[in-house]
Amino acid sequence: MLPSVRALERAMGYSAGKAPGPLTALIAEVSAELMLLEEIRAEYRIIDDIAIGTDAGTLKVQEVTFSPGRTVSGQIREAEKVALFVCTAGATVSDRSRCSTADADLLKGYVYDVTGTMVVEKAADMMLRELRRTMEAGGYGITNRFSPGYCGWDLAEQHKLFIFLRDNYCGVTLTESALMKPVKSVSGIIGIGRKVRFAPYNCSLCDDKNCLYRGRKT
Amino acid sequence: MNQLLEKLSACVEFGKIDIKSPYPPSMKDQEGAFELTRNALDAGISPGEILEEALIPAMSRVGQKFSRNEIFVPQMLMAAKAMSSSMTHIRPYYLSGETKRKGTFIIGTVTGDLHDIGKNLVAMMIEGAGWEIIDLGVDVSVDKFIDAAEKHPGAVVGLSALLTTTMENMRRTVATLKEKFPHLRILVGGAPVTTEFCEKIGADYYSPDPQGAVDYLSTLVR
Repeated sequence: MLPSVRALERAMGYSAGKAPGPLTALIAEVSAELMLLEEIRAEYRIIDDIAIGTDAGTLKVQEVTFSPGRTVSGQIREAEKVALFVCTAGATVSDRSRCSTADADLLKGYVYDVTGTMVVEKAADMMLRELRRTMEAGGYGITNRFSPGYCGWDLAEQHKLFIFLRDNYCGVTLTESALMKPVKSVSGIIGIGRKVRFAPYNCSLCDDKNCLYRGRKT
Repeated sequence: MNQLLEKLSACVEFGKIDIKSPYPPSMKDQEGAFELTRNALDAGISPGEILEEALIPAMSRVGQKFSRNEIFVPQMLMAAKAMSSSMTHIRPYYLSGETKRKGTFIIGTVTGDLHDIGKNLVAMMIEGAGWEIIDLGVDVSVDKFIDAAEKHPGAVVGLSALLTTTMENMRRTVATLKEKFPHLRILVGGAPVTTEFCEKIGADYYSPDPQGAVDYLSTLVR
């Protein structure tokens, strides 16, 4: 589940062989530490009582109406049900990042932070592949995953999403301002349906130039 | 420039912290920023000269290289650590009043937002430019910013936000601070922030990178 040292260097901006030596050593040290942890978790819940309003950019799940915007509602418009999911890299990576930063070891704090981000993204991708395999066996397709805070979907709607998940789902809780704890967690929805097709992220639909997913090919 | 200061400046720029630091390889086993600062002070060079001729130019070069995408966050952090080791010797002179800061900069990530890497980078660069930093941390309420502004008259305030949702909190923070302190200068930054947003919420300056913030602050002390 841990990204390779090279993948982490790349995420920090460096082309092959260009990362400073101490950084490469630090990434290897942090990766070795995190390898021993078993806190990475991913869970989803499938709900089939849904209604999608593509014109209004809404998604009604049971009695709760989300406003994910036209980009997301358009991507899931053929869905007959949705999977609501949460993934986390666990508390330790975030705690170690915070502690290192507080101890003035900002570089180490940064390495933990980037590693945590990549771990949770890999966990979410793995969960997506597993859901896709399961659904395809039953004749269903799935969409890509979409999270509050991206593609114009207000992060505050994470509160609505968590209504459907049991307390401390996956060990993740929400702050009043809709941030997840542990910090290195992702939540969102995936559309499921017989006519649904998986499409890569389409950055041309979204004007968020700082998006984490911008330029991703899958 | 004095050879010692030139060497010290290079150590900070390339992240050579002390004699034990193996990086950069070309400086292995040589004295780093920590020892050279001590040597400079022992040689009678004033803390002010060390700052103006070695540390500030070094961090400025680091900021410019980062703006041009020639280096990335880790190298900025390494340079900042080297600078910080140098500051260990300089700070007592600030406390005694022998050396003056250029001003005070209050910084924090706005309420609801827990992100701190960008905020820390800006704080380090501004400290490297000779300012006193009052770092209020993350998830900072408007009241905390008000308290800090009251305690440090004439300070400049920097607000950071990484999330589109917390941009609204940034707007509220700027509005409240400006209402209470009309002449307070406020800088804003963070991934979703733009010049247009800065103007819309009534902040004084937006910079997409730390060096821009340093450059803006230097215009205030001319």
